[in-house]
Amino acid sequence: MIWRFTLRRLAVGLVQLSVLIVAVFFLIRLLPADPVSRFVGLNASPEAYALAEQSLGLDLPALEQFEVFLFGDDEEVGLVGGELGTSWVTGSSVNQEIRQYLPVTLELITLSFLIAVGLGVPIGVLGAVNPGGAADKGTLIYGLFAGSQPEFSWGIIFIFVFFVVLGIAPGPLGRLSPLTDPPDFVTGAITIDALLAGRVDIFLEALWYLSLPILTLSFVLSGPIIKMVRENVAQTMNADFMFYGQAAGLPRGILARDALRAAFAPALTLIGILFGFMIGGAVLIESIFSISGLGQYAIRSILAFDYPAIQGVVLTISALTLLIYLAIDVCQALLDPRVSV
Amino acid sequence: MTDVAVEKDQDSLGVLAWIGIGIVSVAIFLAVFSPWLIPYDPTQATENVSTPPPPLSAWPSLFWQTIVGDGPTPHWFGTDASGLDVFSRTIEATRTDLIIALSANIVSVIIGVSLGVISGYFRNIWTETLLRTSDLLQSFPVFITAMILVALAGRSWVNIVLAMSFLYAPIYLRLTRTEVLALRDRSFIEAARALGKTEFGIARQHILPNAIGPSLIQFSVTIGFAILLTAGLSFVGAGVRPPTPEWGSMIATGATQLVLGDWWPSLFPGIAISVTVFGFAVCGHILEKRYGR
Amino acid sequence: MADSTNTVLSARGLSVQYANESPTLSDINMDIAAGEIVGLTGSSGSGKSTLAYALLGLTRRGAQITNGEIYFGRNDLLALSDVELEDIRGRDIALIVQNPRSALHPMYQVGRQISRVYQTHRGSGGAEAHQRAIEMLRLVGINDPERRADAFVHELSGGMAQRVLIALALSTSPKLLIADEPTSGLDVTVQAQFLDTMWETSRKTGTAMVLVTQEPGILANYCDRVIELDAGRVSKDVSASEFVSTSMLHTTQATSSGQGEGQNRAPLLKVEGLRKTFPLRGTKKVVQAVDDMSLSLFAGESVGLVGESGSGKSTVGRCLLKLLDSDAGKITFDGQDLGVVSGEALRRVRQRIQIVQQDPYDSFDPRWTIEKSLLDPLEIHQIVPPTEARAAIEEGLKRVSVDASVLGRRPKDLSAGILQRVAIARALLMKPDFLVLDEPTSMLAPQDRHIILDVLKRLRTELGLSYLLISHDLTSVASACDRVVVMYLGQVVEQGPTTEIFEKPVHPYTKALIGAHLEENPKTRRVDRTDRVDLEGEIPSPIDLPVGCYLATRCPQATEACDKERQVLSSFSSHHDVRCMRAGQLELDKAS
Repeated sequence: MIWRFTLRRLAVGLVQLSVLIVAVFFLIRLLPADPVSRFVGLNASPEAYALAEQSLGLDLPALEQFEVFLFGDDEEVGLVGGELGTSWVTGSSVNQEIRQYLPVTLELITLSFLIAVGLGVPIGVLGAVNPGGAADKGTLIYGLFAGSQPEFSWGIIFIFVFFVVLGIAPGPLGRLSPLTDPPDFVTGAITIDALLAGRVDIFLEALWYLSLPILTLSFVLSGPIIKMVRENVAQTMNADFMFYGQAAGLPRGILARDALRAAFAPALTLIGILFGFMIGGAVLIESIFSISGLGQYAIRSILAFDYPAIQGVVLTISALTLLIYLAIDVCQALLDPRVSV
Repeated sequence: MTDVAVEKDQDSLGVLAWIGIGIVSVAIFLAVFSPWLIPYDPTQATENVSTPPPPLSAWPSLFWQTIVGDGPTPHWFGTDASGLDVFSRTIEATRTDLIIALSANIVSVIIGVSLGVISGYFRNIWTETLLRTSDLLQSFPVFITAMILVALAGRSWVNIVLAMSFLYAPIYLRLTRTEVLALRDRSFIEAARALGKTEFGIARQHILPNAIGPSLIQFSVTIGFAILLTAGLSFVGAGVRPPTPEWGSMIATGATQLVLGDWWPSLFPGIAISVTVFGFAVCGHILEKRYGR
Repeated sequence: MADSTNTVLSARGLSVQYANESPTLSDINMDIAAGEIVGLTGSSGSGKSTLAYALLGLTRRGAQITNGEIYFGRNDLLALSDVELEDIRGRDIALIVQNPRSALHPMYQVGRQISRVYQTHRGSGGAEAHQRAIEMLRLVGINDPERRADAFVHELSGGMAQRVLIALALSTSPKLLIADEPTSGLDVTVQAQFLDTMWETSRKTGTAMVLVTQEPGILANYCDRVIELDAGRVSKDVSASEFVSTSMLHTTQATSSGQGEGQNRAPLLKVEGLRKTFPLRGTKKVVQAVDDMSLSLFAGESVGLVGESGSGKSTVGRCLLKLLDSDAGKITFDGQDLGVVSGEALRRVRQRIQIVQQDPYDSFDPRWTIEKSLLDPLEIHQIVPPTEARAAIEEGLKRVSVDASVLGRRPKDLSAGILQRVAIARALLMKPDFLVLDEPTSMLAPQDRHIILDVLKRLRTELGLSYLLISHDLTSVASACDRVVVMYLGQVVEQGPTTEIFEKPVHPYTKALIGAHLEENPKTRRVDRTDRVDLEGEIPSPIDLPVGCYLATRCPQATEACDKERQVLSSFSSHHDVRCMRAGQLELDKAS
C-alpha cells in the first residue's frame, strides 16, 4: 500500500518537476538580459558578438535551444541523458560543479537543523506546558524575534563579537583554515570526508570553522521551530481528547505520550518544509562565511548570467525540495491513520 | 449548546502588542518624514572618512549643541569608508525598504486576492490552470528566484517589486481561495442567491469582504519577509544599486570594514532591520491571535 | 430526594471560576443517590457542563474550583492528591461528553482506547482488557465489535463514536456516570436507541447517572430527579414529574387545522419524479440524495417534510428553489416549469419562493447589520419605493414579533431564536407565494422552537401563507402542518393528512419516528411503553443502498422478501400513500 502511495506521489513529483524545467528555461530567456555582451563586452564588434552568440547556442530560436537542452547536440547528451550542460563561465560540467557544491550546503544546514531542532523542541514544549507563565511568554517573544531576523546581519554581528573582539572563533574563511589540506573528496561533506580519511583533527577543525555559520543559522531557524512546536503542543494540550483522557483517569505518562504523538506529525511537516526552504535559503550565510556551497555557486552564476548553471541550481533545489515533501508525506501516511494512503 | 466558556487566549499580549505597534509606527514615520529628519545628504560623501560615532556619554551635550545650532551636526552613527553619514543613510533607507516592501505587498494582495476570489468562486478549467500555475510558482526557491528575476531583468526597485509580487501573490491567492471555498457553502451565500442577488454581486459584496481577513493578517507578516528579501538581494549585489541608501547594501559595505574593527557602518542598519522586521512580525502575530481563526 | 445512607456523591458549596471573571458556578449543593438518574438542566451558559466536569474534580483550562467539597464515599475529591484522583476518575466516576469524535484520540484504535482505560483501573492483562473492550462494544449495540475495535475514530459515525464512548465509560463498571449532552447531534431514532441503552444499563447495574441536557423530553422520559441551574446557581432540585408540571411550556399535539383538503384547483407547486445524486470525489460512485420524489402543494396549504439526516429532505428544499439542479424530474411552480427558467426569469421566480435556513447565524452575512441584510433584497427586487423601505422592514419585523431595535445590530449580537424570526421576516419581505423552511427550529433552544412554530401558525392564518416545513422531528412540527410527508434515504415512505399519519401510521419507519419523540410528560415515558416500534442499527450508507426495502436492515418486521424487492409508493387510502409491500399485512396483524 505504502509503496503504491510513494510511487504515485513520485510520479506526480516528476510531472511537477518537468513543468518546472520548462518554466525555468523559458522564464530566464524571457527576461531582458543580454548574456552575450556580458561575455564579450559592450564594445565588441558585431562579428565577435555573433560568434559568441553562436558558441553559447543563443543564436537558435528558443524552442530549438530547449531541444538542445533536453536532448543534447553533437557534444553533449542533454537533460534526458542526465547532463545539465556546461557552465559558460568555467567551461566545466554543471553536474560536476553541483556535485561538488551541494554536499557543502547540505552539511551546513543539516548540522544547523540538528542544533535548532535539538534546542527548539524542548524549549517549545516547555513554553506550551504552562500557558501564560514566564516560560511561555519568553518562548513566544524569542520565537517571534529569532524567526524574523536577517541572518546576514547576525552573521556579521557574531563575526565581530566572537572573532574580531573576543578572538575565540575562527574568521569567515570557509570550512577549513587555508593552510590545512582538505581530505580527499568522497561525499563532499567535509566532516564526513575527514572521518572517512581517519583524520579526527580535520574533523574537529571543520566543526570549529563551521561553528559561527551554524550558530547563526540555528539561531534564525530556532525561531520558527520554537514558535511552531509551542503552538502545536499547546493546541494538543487543549484538545478534547486530552481533557477526556484526564477525565478517564489515565496516568500522566500515558497522557504525555498521547500529546506527543498527536503533536509530532504536524511538527514533522513544518520542519520538513523549513528544511526544503533552507536548501535555497542558505545563500547569504555561505556568502558571509565564504563557504563555497550551492548558494555561493548560485550567486556567482546569476550575476554572471550563466544560464546552464542557473538552470542546474534551480532544478537541483526544486528536485530536492520535492523529494523532501515526498518523504514527509510518506512519514505522515505511516504515522497518522487519518491520512488516506 | 455547550456552556463551556470559550477558551480565552491566556497570553496577555498587551505590552508586546504596543511594542509591535510602536515599532511599526516609528518606521512609517521615519519613512514618510526622512527628508526633514536627516542632517546630511545620504548619497553625498563628507570629508570625514570612517569616523566612529561619538561615545554615548557625549550624546546629551552634542544633542544640545545641535539644537542651539552651535557647531556642525555630529555623525551620530559615524561615517563609512566613503565618508557617507551612517545616521542619515539608515533613516533614509527606511524609506527605500518600506516603499519596496509595501508596494510589493500591495501589488501581491491586489493580484492574489482578486484571483483567489475568482478561482474559488468560479471553478472551471481556467481557474484550475491558474491554481496550478500559482502552485508551481510557490515551489520555486524564493531567494534564488528573486535574484534571478532582478539580476536578469535589471536592478531597479520596480523590478524588485515585480519579482516579489510574482513570488508573494500565490500566497495570497491560496489564502483567499481557501476562505472562499469555505464561504461558498455558507447559508448566507445561498440566502443571497435565493433573495435574487446576482453572482457578481454575491462575489463582490459577500465573498470578498469576508474572505480578505487572513490576507490582511498575512500582509503584516509578509512585509517583514519583503524587507528581509530586499535587504538580502542588495547584500549579495542583486538589489537596488548603490549609492541608494538601503539597509542590506549598507551592511554589505560595512562588513568589509569589520575586520578593521569598524563596527558602526554595518551594525546600525543591522539593528534597523532587526527591529523593523520584529515589529511587523509582532503585529502579524497579534492580528492573527485577535482576528485569525 | 437522596437518602443519605445511599448517597454516591454529594457536593457542598462548590464554586468554579474562570480567571478574572465572575464565578461560573457558585455555592452548588447536590446529592446523587445510588442508581438514581439525575437530570442537570439550564439554559446555555448556565454552567451545567462546568458543573458536570467539576463533579470529577476537573475544570477546563483557565478555570478553577475555588471552593467547596465533593464527597465520594468517604473521600473529599478536592482534598485528594492528583494521583489518588486519577484512580477514582474513570474507575468509579466516568464521563461521556457531547462531542465523542474529538474526545477520542485520533491516532489509536478505539478498542485499544477502551482496553487501556480498563487496564489502568482494573489492572488486568492486555488480552483480557481487549476481550472486555469487545464485550463492551457488543453490549452498547455495535455490530461486529471485533472489527470495530480496530477502527479509528474518523472511520466512525457520530452515533457510533458516542456508543464507543459509553462502552469506554462503562467498561470499568463505575458507580456514577456523568453524561454531558450525550445525544446532541444524533438523529431522533438513534437518540432514542442510545438513551434506551443507557437507561437499561443504569437500571441493570445500579449505576447512578447525571444526565446534562436542555431537552425537556429527555428529562421527562429518563430522569428521576431534575436539578436546574440558573446563572451558576441551583434554581430547582425537584422530582422529574414535579419539574415537568411546573416548568414545561406546553405539550405539542398533533392537530390539523383542517383546511386545504382535496382541492380541485391546480396545485401551486408540483414535483414529479425528482431525483438528485451527488458524485463522490475520486470515484465513479454517487451519493443518492433524492430518488423518485413526487409532491403536490396547493395554495394556502402547509406541508411537513420529515426525515432524519441523510433522508434528502434538505436537498428537496434546495431543488425547489433551484439552488441545486436536479438530475431528473419536473418541478412546476404556478404552471411554470422551473427546469427551463434561468437568469432574470429565475430571479423573478425566486422572489416568489423563499427559504429560511437551519442555522440563523450562518444565514446572515456576519459583517452586515440586520438593517442592511433586510434592505438589500428589497432594493434588488424594488418591492417597495426606497423611501418606504425602512417602514416596510419595521412592519416585517413586527409581523414576527421582533422589536425594531435589532436593526442596528449584527447577527452575533442576537439570540438564535430572535435571529431565526428575523430570517423569516426577511423571507416574507419578498412577498413570496411559497416558503421553504429548512429545519428552522433544530438549532434553537426548546422555548424558541415553540415561538417559531407559533409564529408560523399565526402567519398561516393571517397571510394564508403556503409553506414546506422541513424537520427531523415529526411530532413537533405536526401542529403547524396540514399534511406530512415522511422521507427515508431519499424516498418518500409515507404521506397523508397530519391527523391520519398520527392516528394510523402504517409504515414501520413512521411508527418509529413517532415513537422516538420524547414527550414532555413523565406519565407517558418511552421506556414504559410496550407497543413501540424500535429500529436497530445505523442508517445504511446512501452510496451503497440496499437492493430491496431501504429500511429492511433496521426494520423489526422485515421479511426475506423485503431484502429483495424494491418498494413502491402506493395508495393506502385516499390521500394516504405508503411505500411498504407489507402495509396491508401489518394492519391485519394489528387487528387480529
